[in-house]
Amino acid sequence: MHIILKENNERHVVLVSPIEDVDFKKLTVKRYFFNWKKLKDESSIFKLTLANSKDILGLIALVAHPEERIEIKLLAVSAENVGKNKQFDRIAGCLIAFAGREAIRKFQNYPALSLIPKTELKQSYIRKYGMIDAGWQLYLEDAPLLRLVKEYLS
Amino acid sequence: MSKKKVIEQYTRDEIAEAFVFPVKLSPKQQLEANIQLNNHRANRRAAMTGPEQLNLKLIQLKFRLEDYIDGENYNPQYTFGYFLELYLQLTDRKKKEFAADIQIHETQLSQILKNRREPNESLMIRLELHSNNTIPAIDWFKLLEKEKGHQLKTDKTLRDKESQYVKHSLQLV
Repeated sequence: MHIILKENNERHVVLVSPIEDVDFKKLTVKRYFFNWKKLKDESSIFKLTLANSKDILGLIALVAHPEERIEIKLLAVSAENVGKNKQFDRIAGCLIAFAGREAIRKFQNYPALSLIPKTELKQSYIRKYGMIDAGWQLYLEDAPLLRLVKEYLS
Repeated sequence: MSKKKVIEQYTRDEIAEAFVFPVKLSPKQQLEANIQLNNHRANRRAAMTGPEQLNLKLIQLKFRLEDYIDGENYNPQYTFGYFLELYLQLTDRKKKEFAADIQIHETQLSQILKNRREPNESLMIRLELHSNNTIPAIDWFKLLEKEKGHQLKTDKTLRDKESQYVKHSLQLV
């Protein structure tokens, strides 16, 4: 799994791992946009870091549902990686693909990944990640899910 | 930066490349959203073809194999033969059929499945090709390596036997 440093298009290997209690001190709203500690008890939170660094570049909060589905409750990249002047590309894609891999790993029959989008962002998620429109929710499963996982995790 | 400022400052595509915002639905909306999604998924599942299902199962096997290889724990049950047997089950191949698919003798395949014969690199490449590159040869190789690494680490008999050939071993504090 890799992200791309935009200034020279260099690939950097990244890791996604569960958040640790000590990390919460570093998760300021200024850099990570939300109070992540609030989600600690109701979801599983994972962090994305460069393989050789402890600096957190992105976060994702996931909830597993019994109908073989993992829901993305919240995702944010660090402040310096938002917009056209961002340092690294692909952070959110790697986190979403990681969530997809978790669904495939956890559920044996028909694993799926879903999110509830803000209405105005729906088409952007569909274009960027190949998500399927199911009304209120967007989701990925079978071939579109495997495509995303392959694109970002291989 | 607040959510409102993010929405003002960045384009929709830029936001989708950086965020999934929390969206709160009313209980009624949430129920409707779940029904919609379940119906949508049921329709897709009904339309799923055999090759699509097989593809999904193979990816699951690949992830299971890679999780085991990358993990720290050794499980004596998870041998080369064990994972190859799972592959045969998923692809719905009988031993005779599969041996013919990858052009090895059926006895050789049986011995590998029972862990009585060590697979060679050619076989691993053939497995990769048979899976249409879904499970790479390197995964099979690493699986065997993990098994052999564990044997090497824990083989006391071999250590006892080999110790007679080592003299003047280093004296360290």
